[in-house]
Amino acid sequence: MDDVALLDALKQRDSSVLAALFTRHADALYRLAVRLLGDEQQADGVVQTAFLALLDHADRFEGRANIGTWLYRVAYNECLMRLRAAPSVSLDDLAGESGEFMPSCLVDWRNLPEEALLNEEAHAEMERAINSLTPTLRAVFTLRDVEELSVSETAHILNLSEAAVKTNLHRARLHLRERLSRYFEGRHT
Amino acid sequence: MQCDDLVRYLSDYLDHNLEESLAAEAQAHLASCHNCRVVLDTTQQTILLYRERGKQLAMPAARHAHLFAQLAKALKAEDEISE
Ligand SMILES: [Zn+2]
Repeated sequence: MDDVALLDALKQRDSSVLAALFTRHADALYRLAVRLLGDEQQADGVVQTAFLALLDHADRFEGRANIGTWLYRVAYNECLMRLRAAPSVSLDDLAGESGEFMPSCLVDWRNLPEEALLNEEAHAEMERAINSLTPTLRAVFTLRDVEELSVSETAHILNLSEAAVKTNLHRARLHLRERLSRYFEGRHT
Repeated sequence: MQCDDLVRYLSDYLDHNLEESLAAEAQAHLASCHNCRVVLDTTQQTILLYRERGKQLAMPAARHAHLFAQLAKALKAEDEISE
């Protein structure tokens, strides 16, 4: 079923269609929200808000709008509202980083054995690294490189220009590469 | 192409967004510059690690079911209001 047919069925209050949409999109929205908010309970609330908005909005949906992208937009805006409400986050943090960044750690850790790359300690370092990025960089990296959305979809969801998506993605990648390289440097033989 | 340029174009190179002549220059630089090759390879590896880890994250089944039940209830409630 394509999105137009799904929306028609949802207007008829067909709960099997709601189930199909929830199965298809809930986890992706949840991952973005966990990534941005760092809190699973809050992420549940974000997913709920996005789907309630969809139920509310089904009658007025633009014919060609993409449901997945639309849900992502609502979820992302909900995340931003919750971030702004958190006292530890300043609006500067939401604006993204600027400036050139040159790689400095040049150790080649690509061929480390799997157990070095995939163990829990490495995972914890990956978490610390991505959480050190601004929310904008985190969101761009998550949508582009983890969820593999296109530049234009990512731009639409995050309300950024395509150029800004590319710049932010580049910064995020270089920062994460640097952090992981420094971490793995100590484990390289 | 210099190392600075390669780093600047790195993401566009990875995403196949460079025009042909620049992509060829980047390729030539990468063939002769070990440092840039390492930066490219470790950037790719970084992306793959996050992608593999990231996609494993899903809402736990019990909360998934609970949340869906709430939404189905909301759907039904709206139905009753509109009738
Ligand atoms: Zn170089």
